[in-house]
Amino acid sequence: MSFAMAFSKKEDESGLSSYYNNKTTIIQEARVFNESPISPRKCRALLTRIVYLLYVGETFNTQEATTLFFGTTKLFQHKDSALRQAVYLAIKELATTAEDVIMVTSSIMKDMQPNSEVIYRPNSIRALCRIIDPSMAQGVERFFKAAIVDRNPSISSASLVSAYHLFPHAKDVVKRWVNEAQEAVNAKSAGYFGGQVSSGSSFFGGGSSQSAAQTVPSSSNITQYHALGLLYLIRQQDRMAVTKMIQQLGGGKSGSGTTLKNAMALCMLIRYAAKVMEEDPNVQRQMAELLEGWLRHKSDMVNFEAARVLCEMKNVTNAQLIKSIAVLQLFLSSPKPVLKFAATRTLASLALSHPTSVAVCNIDLETLITDSNRSVATYAITTLLKTGNEASVDRLIKQISGFMSEISDEFKVIIVDAIRSLCLKFPAKHASMLTFLSGVLRDEGGYDFKRAVVEAMFDMIKFIGECKEQALSHLCEFIEDCEFTKLSVRILHLLGIEGPKASHPAKYIRFIYNRVVLENAPVRAAAVSSLAKFGVNTVDPTLNKSIGVLLNRCLDDVDDEVRDRAAMYLKVFKKQALVEPYIKEDSVLSLAALEAKLVSYVKDPSASTQAFDVSTIPKISRAQAALESARPSTLDTIGVPAKAAAVAAPPPPSAAETQSAYAEQIAAVPAFASYGAVLNSSAKPAQLTESETEYQVTCVKHIFKEHVVFQFNVSNTLPDTVLEQVTMAMQTEDVGLTQDFVLPIPSLSAVSSPGIVYVSFTRDEPEDYAIGSFQCTLQFVSKELDPSTGEPEAEGYEDEYQIEEVELSAGGDYIIPSYAAFGAEWDRLKGAPSVTETFGLGSSVESLKAACESIIEVLNMEPLGGTEVPTSSSVHTLQLSGLVTGGGGKVLVRCRMTYSQGVGVTLELGVRAEKQDVCQLVVNAVGG
Amino acid sequence: MASFFSNLFQWFASFFLSKTAEIAIVGLQASGKTSFVNVIGSGQVKRSFYPFDSSLQFQQWSEDVVPTVGFIFRKVRKGNVTLKIWDVAGQPKFRSMWERYCHGVDAIVFIIDSADPEKFNTARFELHQLLGQPALIGVPLLVLGNKNDLEGHVPVKDLIRDLQLDKISDRPVSCYSVCRPSRASLTMTLTLIFQCSMKSQHNLDIVLQWLAGRSH
Repeated sequence: MSFAMAFSKKEDESGLSSYYNNKTTIIQEARVFNESPISPRKCRALLTRIVYLLYVGETFNTQEATTLFFGTTKLFQHKDSALRQAVYLAIKELATTAEDVIMVTSSIMKDMQPNSEVIYRPNSIRALCRIIDPSMAQGVERFFKAAIVDRNPSISSASLVSAYHLFPHAKDVVKRWVNEAQEAVNAKSAGYFGGQVSSGSSFFGGGSSQSAAQTVPSSSNITQYHALGLLYLIRQQDRMAVTKMIQQLGGGKSGSGTTLKNAMALCMLIRYAAKVMEEDPNVQRQMAELLEGWLRHKSDMVNFEAARVLCEMKNVTNAQLIKSIAVLQLFLSSPKPVLKFAATRTLASLALSHPTSVAVCNIDLETLITDSNRSVATYAITTLLKTGNEASVDRLIKQISGFMSEISDEFKVIIVDAIRSLCLKFPAKHASMLTFLSGVLRDEGGYDFKRAVVEAMFDMIKFIGECKEQALSHLCEFIEDCEFTKLSVRILHLLGIEGPKASHPAKYIRFIYNRVVLENAPVRAAAVSSLAKFGVNTVDPTLNKSIGVLLNRCLDDVDDEVRDRAAMYLKVFKKQALVEPYIKEDSVLSLAALEAKLVSYVKDPSASTQAFDVSTIPKISRAQAALESARPSTLDTIGVPAKAAAVAAPPPPSAAETQSAYAEQIAAVPAFASYGAVLNSSAKPAQLTESETEYQVTCVKHIFKEHVVFQFNVSNTLPDTVLEQVTMAMQTEDVGLTQDFVLPIPSLSAVSSPGIVYVSFTRDEPEDYAIGSFQCTLQFVSKELDPSTGEPEAEGYEDEYQIEEVELSAGGDYIIPSYAAFGAEWDRLKGAPSVTETFGLGSSVESLKAACESIIEVLNMEPLGGTEVPTSSSVHTLQLSGLVTGGGGKVLVRCRMTYSQGVGVTLELGVRAEKQDVCQLVVNAVGG
Repeated sequence: MASFFSNLFQWFASFFLSKTAEIAIVGLQASGKTSFVNVIGSGQVKRSFYPFDSSLQFQQWSEDVVPTVGFIFRKVRKGNVTLKIWDVAGQPKFRSMWERYCHGVDAIVFIIDSADPEKFNTARFELHQLLGQPALIGVPLLVLGNKNDLEGHVPVKDLIRDLQLDKISDRPVSCYSVCRPSRASLTMTLTLIFQCSMKSQHNLDIVLQWLAGRSH
């Protein structure tokens, strides 16, 4: 036991250590804490072992920790300094799990007294903040204020760090210590300080020599770092104060006037500056000047931090980058690996946005390719891949292949992503890159790495036609021995799509059928689907027949899903009519819209009597679906960890997503509860006022089965008035709508804006599509706000405000875009209601393109097959598809147009829909 | 000269004959535990300890001692006896932890405010709760009725009855009444403690003797 203290490395490695550092033994040996007299040596050894165990991740349960904790409190009877320091360390570590740790409060505070010149004063301060009850922070305020400005840096640091940790629990108290923290930042380097207190005392050395430690004046000025951290924590909500602090401590343009001597404190200051710049572009200039000053600081750390922040600055220009790149370039040839790593990493991410600026470092980067530190080499190569030219690609790829097996998966992913973007940059080099990718695909690696490789190959197949077949055969080879089900399924799906178009589709069949024989159920099911696609798309009848045979064999599979799929496809083969919707269909339901509709279906109890109607959900093409899903675009994925993902803005909400947001808003209004589900809401609010007027109004229309609800979003931009009883007067000619009620806003101030006024109408004939325009007037009582109290005055005056008309029209309110395969649908609706009319669009429409745009806007339908862009200037056919809300079914429009100089555009409008009045609606919309 | 040698002899003898006693001082809050420790310890410890108010730190003693949070350990030497004193806080949330600090001591000192009979019931309950712990069987108990200088304090006899000390049979029990040390009597205390005579310091030296008798 007594020699446990003397842990040497050798013992650590032997089995002995596992015995001595065993939780159970330690808890048993905790008896020594209760022995009398106390042996400081034994106790210290045991405390060391407790702390060691906690550091290596061992956990004590509450009861064990409490027992140990109370054991250690018994040691307060012994004055040995080293023992007391060990006690404080143990208390700090046990404080999180043990109960009743508040027990030592008074004992700790006894040690913290300013006149107790003991070596363990900083330790006691640090321990106190772990165990103190936040309500007692006030009680120690005076003490902390004195300790923060103590001449002894370790006491000052300890109290600053403790204040930092106390801050979240006792904000108001700690905020009052800001002056002391400021003083600590500005303090001149404290030289000697009296007594036995040593600067090293805050770090428990484990030896008894500590108690007799000689004073070692600290020259690190680490206190400044701690004080700066606390200052920022207190001021972080106040950007002006932070800006002022940075300028004050930054010490002028050259940075020479700074009082900060600690490099870490300066780095921290640079990071705060970066944050301020990001939040407020106005200060970017002056901050950048400060940062450039720090590029010449004598500490590498500060130079690097400043250079990095300058490189990551928003909208940074090439001229601004020159200096920081020069600093980084210097680091590239430094003997210190950490500097090389930092510089290459920063350059690698900068190369994404400014490859030309980084290119000046290429020569230095070239030498780093062979660096013994593989992380440095990886970043050097990825940077070169981004900045280099086509000629150097082959050489770089060869170089990478040399050490691919020596680096970790994370770096492999970075390299693969770099290659992936390179493929698209230099398509001519695809051969060597494909060889590289297929090579690394055979290497050992985890899922993330393999997925990166597979996605890179998918991209090549998608964008580079020449390498398609070769890439496919590499992928086939990969699934022969692939342990990741997800990847196998994706590859099989791709094979199903691309395989049948290849020159020899038959060669893939063997790979796919092997999966059916050898793999787990999900892969087998995917393989069956893939086979079916070959069967349908191939022109070779013998192949078709043999696939039928293979599918028949799958009918005996043990898994339900596999059998079901095989049976379904066999059935589909026999009936050509089924092929189109089940196998060749390339549209999908809009998932956001589907979700919204399903939610409203589940919420509405009366709806459960009918089956859910899928046909009302708009469809989108696969290409659109791919856009909507958040997969990062190919060029974004180049090797910058974490940062890049955070920068990428979320995609703007799709129309379907806004719909579901509106549906939630409407559902919150009780008056509309009986209306049922919303059939359609406007895709985006219509602006009814100029954007700079004092009252701003936008309108959203919601169509219900028997009602129409207008939602007016009203904003009051005048800070000193409040509007009360805000309503909307709507006047219209007879359009088949009867006004039910208006839901006014009781009070609307600049702060509470925007508010919502709802106006509800009943559709007299729910079957009809009521169309018309409404004159709208905003009516309200305006009251001034008393500037001193902020209360509205008692008397106000009534006022009106005329806004633009609201239109209820076919496109947007009754018809929504939906994807369809035009040719097939058009033929299917041959016998359905149809209308054909011819219009002259007049001379105001100057081209076919303008005509297409206005028709799409008026009808709000989905243009299909790229027909929205006319290829000829004289003749064009525009194909449109849409869905009529409220179960009106599909509607297709074919617009044949001719254009001739002088006459303008002549339009033949052909409409086919499932209902006659829908056709009329469309024709009226265009003709009206 | 002779007296010098006898003093020197006593001084050396104190090393060889020195004894230690470990005692735990418990009792309800504001019964005067920390003040009591301050008084018996003031012969050696120059300062009293006031954790929450540093402005008071150089004063010897104050009427308003700040409540102890948890416990304070104090080592006091009286003649050739070293007293190790665990002064444990008396607020309700700390009472469950008395036992931990009474464990293994030579004597338990229970201090009660004899001028506050309303709290006797709580005090009795807590005391008997503590003594009921099997680990503490046989540990001698000293009950001190503090603040006997105040009007309306309860005499020792009644204290014994109210706390049902007569029912305790598994350990030696003593009960005394002591007065609150005041600023004026403080210097006297120091002298008196050593001379074992008493006037204003009723019984305090008896208490010390009793405590010393528990040493080993």
